[in-house]
Amino acid sequence: MKKKILIVGGGTAGTMTANNLAKKLMPEIDRGDVEITMISNSKYHYYRPGAMYVAFHKSEGHEFVRDQRSLLMPEIEFIVDAAVEINTNRNFVKGQSGKRYEYDFMVLATGCEAAPERIPGLKEGGDWFYTYEGARKLAEKFQTIKNGRVLITVNFPKTPNIPHQCGIAPVETTIMLHDYLKEKGVRENIEIVYTYPTEAQSVHNGLFLQEPTSKVLPAIFDEMDIKHKTGFTLNKVDPAKKVAYSEEGEEMEFDILMSTPPFIASKVIRESGLSKALDGEGWLPTDRKTLKVKGLDNVYTLGDTVDLPVSKAGGTIHNQTDVVADNIASELRYGYPTESYDGLVIAIAQMGLSCGMPLWYDYEEDVQPTPCSKLGSFVRKGFNKGIYWAAARGMI
Amino acid sequence: MSEKVEVLKSKEMQALEEKMTMLVQTGRIDNLIDLLAVVSDNIEMTTQPMVEKMIGTVDNMATAGFVTENAVRYAKRETDKNEVPSLFGMLKLLKDKDTRKGLAFVLNLTKGIGRQL
Ligand SMILES: Cc1cc2nc3c(=O)[nH]c(=O)nc-3n(C[C@H](O)[C@H](O)[C@H](O)COP(=O)(O)OP(=O)(O)OC[C@H]3O[C@@H](n4cnc5c(N)ncnc54)[C@H](O)[C@@H]3O)c2cc1C
Repeated sequence: MKKKILIVGGGTAGTMTANNLAKKLMPEIDRGDVEITMISNSKYHYYRPGAMYVAFHKSEGHEFVRDQRSLLMPEIEFIVDAAVEINTNRNFVKGQSGKRYEYDFMVLATGCEAAPERIPGLKEGGDWFYTYEGARKLAEKFQTIKNGRVLITVNFPKTPNIPHQCGIAPVETTIMLHDYLKEKGVRENIEIVYTYPTEAQSVHNGLFLQEPTSKVLPAIFDEMDIKHKTGFTLNKVDPAKKVAYSEEGEEMEFDILMSTPPFIASKVIRESGLSKALDGEGWLPTDRKTLKVKGLDNVYTLGDTVDLPVSKAGGTIHNQTDVVADNIASELRYGYPTESYDGLVIAIAQMGLSCGMPLWYDYEEDVQPTPCSKLGSFVRKGFNKGIYWAAARGMI
Repeated sequence: MSEKVEVLKSKEMQALEEKMTMLVQTGRIDNLIDLLAVVSDNIEMTTQPMVEKMIGTVDNMATAGFVTENAVRYAKRETDKNEVPSLFGMLKLLKDKDTRKGLAFVLNLTKGIGRQL
């Protein structure tokens, strides 16, 4: 019997994994023993970090979108259909089209979504660069602001020890904003205030979600005259008065509120009954080593939808994808998984418009901050504008 | 004050000093300094648009490689699977949507080449 592998979600995680699986299982595919199918609710593939550059008029946005089909090897059957029901007892997923997709092994890779509506007033009064639409709105505001205050806020999921999407993004964009306003010659008239919540995973009253970086940030911010304040967990916004309120009982005025909003898993996962996350956030309970959904022997997950403490980032997925692909291949061949994820994340942070900082860490060790450089920035931007597509295709 | 002050060097620094001494004594250091200067100048003189254009070229090559490699593998598998088609079989192959898409692509490709001749 032909074994069926179903991949749900055609983003970074789903695409890399589908291609890696096709490569690993080529002998089985050649013999007609295995078939790989991907369903995604979009015909297009978005390189999400690109939105950050759109917010500062450093990119238009169209260069970060490609046809999903063009990123997949021809051995992968690609169908545009949204998953609306996941039935792990009977091993099938139902699509919006009404079609049932059966599987022997499944990979859930539907990412996460920004949920500003979870904080009263944030949707109306705040801005965020985590979507292309949001980034474009922010870009317009940054283009016209002449004086006043830009307030930066960061919210974490209510479920303990889970990060928001791309942990370093609030720091990156704060420094990019500083550079951008300087470039425009209005920096002196605009106050930038970076705030961080009291609880950020294992860090209490810090400025970042890992201790070593949290400790060096004050010096970096001071040098750029960026005000910083911990203990500010946004819980309400008054859009008319332009005031942000914190859980800790403080309030702060703003002209622009650049927020990292709450994040939740995609709807189909939230409603699948598979998650035990607080507040219906929907993170999938994930085995930190095998990357299987806990309690399910033939379902794997990776990327932004997991409940692991590691960064929700492409630099995480690049290391998870081979574990998932290897494990599924091993299960098909030997009947058991053979690989284990060590929590490795590798990335280059954009610290300002032209400075890149390489970073890496895993389950055991936090990031050790290093100086950023012009060369680092070139590598990062080269990745954004081209190398990413090769990585998604499983070429690197 | 005739007391000699002993500067304590780490083991690593001592090792480095020995190697550097060798480089200086053999005159190689001049070339190395020049090389570092060239690398540094190149980083300094490279601009963002240059990086983007370069990466665009790399991306184009990677895309072409991806498409070609996939197509060749696919064609080989299909050819191995099926017998050499008869004339009628050829027509059947032509009826297939993917074949027609590919053929139209090849024809447009020749058109694109023609435009540049
Ligand atoms: C502004 C910003 C900056 C970032 N910066 C960095 C960075 O510097 N470095 C880094 O490594 N990472 C960064 N990231 C994070 C990175 O982009 C994400 O971690 C990554 O895209 C997550 O991949 P994913 O496949 O899990 O989710 P996604 O890429 O979001 O893909 C999910 C896919 O699932 C599909 N889908 C959703 N619901 C359904 C459904 N019901 N049925 C079928 N398909 C569905 C979607 O269409 C999509 O194709 C950044 C993200 C943002 C937004």
